[in-house]
Amino acid sequence: MKNKMNRLKRREHGANAVLLSPMYLFTIVFLIGPFVYMIVLSFLTRAETWGVVNEFTFRNYLKILEPTYLNTFWESIKLALLVTALVILIGYPFGYYMAKLSPKNRGVMLMLVTIPFWTSSLMRLYGWIIIFRANGLLDKLLMGIKLTGEPLKLLYTYPAVVVGMVYGLLPFMILSVYSSVEKMDWTLVEAARDLGAGPVKAFFTVTLKCTMPGLMTGVILTFVPSMALFFIADILGGNKIPLIGNVIQDQLMKVHDWPFAAALSVILMLMTTLMIFLYRKVTGSSDTEGII
Amino acid sequence: MKKIVSVCLVLCLFAVLFAGCNSGEGNKAGGTLNLYTWAEMFDPDVLAAFEKETGITVNYTNFDYDETMLARLEAAEGGDYDLIIADDYIIETVIAEGLARKLDKSKIPNFGNINPIYQGQFYDPTDEYTVPYGAGVQTIVYNPAKISVDVKGYSDLWNEAFKDDLAIIANYRVIVGMAEKVLGYSYNTNDLSQIEAAGEKLYELAPNIRLIKDDNVQDDLVSGEVDAAVMYTSQVTMAKLANPDLKIVYPEEGIGFGIMGMFVPSKAPNADAAYAFIEYILRPEVSKACFEYLGYYCTNKAADDLISEEFKEFLVLPTSFKAEDMEMIGNISPEAAEKQDAIWTKFKDLCE
Repeated sequence: MKNKMNRLKRREHGANAVLLSPMYLFTIVFLIGPFVYMIVLSFLTRAETWGVVNEFTFRNYLKILEPTYLNTFWESIKLALLVTALVILIGYPFGYYMAKLSPKNRGVMLMLVTIPFWTSSLMRLYGWIIIFRANGLLDKLLMGIKLTGEPLKLLYTYPAVVVGMVYGLLPFMILSVYSSVEKMDWTLVEAARDLGAGPVKAFFTVTLKCTMPGLMTGVILTFVPSMALFFIADILGGNKIPLIGNVIQDQLMKVHDWPFAAALSVILMLMTTLMIFLYRKVTGSSDTEGII
Repeated sequence: MKKIVSVCLVLCLFAVLFAGCNSGEGNKAGGTLNLYTWAEMFDPDVLAAFEKETGITVNYTNFDYDETMLARLEAAEGGDYDLIIADDYIIETVIAEGLARKLDKSKIPNFGNINPIYQGQFYDPTDEYTVPYGAGVQTIVYNPAKISVDVKGYSDLWNEAFKDDLAIIANYRVIVGMAEKVLGYSYNTNDLSQIEAAGEKLYELAPNIRLIKDDNVQDDLVSGEVDAAVMYTSQVTMAKLANPDLKIVYPEEGIGFGIMGMFVPSKAPNADAAYAFIEYILRPEVSKACFEYLGYYCTNKAADDLISEEFKEFLVLPTSFKAEDMEMIGNISPEAAEKQDAIWTKFKDLCE
């Protein structure tokens, strides 16, 4: 009997492997393959004008340590931190109160938060240009209520980039906080209140801890993309903030230094991995279910 | 049984998925010209007239960057396409890799119509491989109503009158080159100390920069977002058509052309169609239509006189222009390119 069970299990296992083979193949061809290629590339030497030469070197990584390029990492992290902080400040209360609405209103809010996703993010960015540009909507409004006398030159500034990024990434925070607040067991808060905790204390000792996975998911979904969303800095910031994404693009398309671009990408990827590692540490969860 | 069927289905699906990868390409029918270049390089009417006259069908495919074109051409080993139009610097690589063929000039009697100013350049010094099709130049354009300085060249852009009011193109060679020119160096210097000096000069320009952008800079100039810009010829054309009051300045330091060239790949399936097309395009009246549509400098001398008055100022070079005034931006050593790129990255940061 036991023997038969084992045989059955084995057979099932074999069939599963065949069924799953396309997925393995897909992962190898489209995920692991390019990744290995990129790591190998990052240790090669660039050719005179075009392409690469098969000569092993650490030069590309050493070059990242030059102050100019280190600074681009710093600029990217700085911007990502600022954006993430703002997104938490706006997104957490938003998601929190959204989850506490009546089911009907909740549905409406959920709808309103997701509707912008139906349009291309580039289109929405151009919307911000219309608002920010010289004599644009915001300028006209401010001049109309006599707050300012002349156009403010709002477009192509650092704050414009921050607004664009916060706007673009906010829904991720709202939705992740919302889903974890909605799942929360409110009796825990009641218990805390019964035991004498004030609303603020109850929030920080119970609610915040219970919703930490949602919050951290939101942080990951905001921080990681904002390291790489270079097109927002291009379009709203006038290309003046050198983020890692811009530098990688420049290396590929203009300088033709592929190995250096690959090295930058590898470092960027390591930083992302570190973030996810931190996420696991903080939330104590062994899977990344929250992220997906 | 059910499982076997589903396994088969999955495998079939997979096969179909990959089958799509290899087909599609390569229409090698006798009367077809496989033309490969950027989008909107030709007035559809011109292409239609060519098809009607010669019976050759034009199969027009596009690339977005020169680099994409080179990668595709390398993959096709110089085949698949009959005629390609791309930028000067990439053509140098194409020729070096043996992917272009020497033109059979007996099949292009109109070859003599080409403006010699655009010939004999670094990428094809003996004009064996290419026919220029349009040239661009980085020009300063500004709104005289807002900027009171009389701009003569690049060096004037360092003036305080341009504070936070200047747009530049996002090409590091052009912008670092601007500083090199102001200091009296060549665009193509490989001397690292000269490049370093140009960098120091360029950093001083940072407070004046409001915008770094490659596409549609003219919109920002016309809408008043900026009052001066260094931009490409096609953008100058659009800016001038939208606001005729704008002033165009050919920098006195000497200007650096970018030339787009037509070449026939080494294993072009239908080179004769390519020759027929080049010959057709080099007719003065066809060139006139092409360049007025394209908005780049007319590279066909025989067509210069036909260009309409409203386009003349930016499609035909001023008569005072001398070939010695221009220097093209060519490929430089990897060390020099890296130095320039580091300067460019730091410069952007200072602009913020």
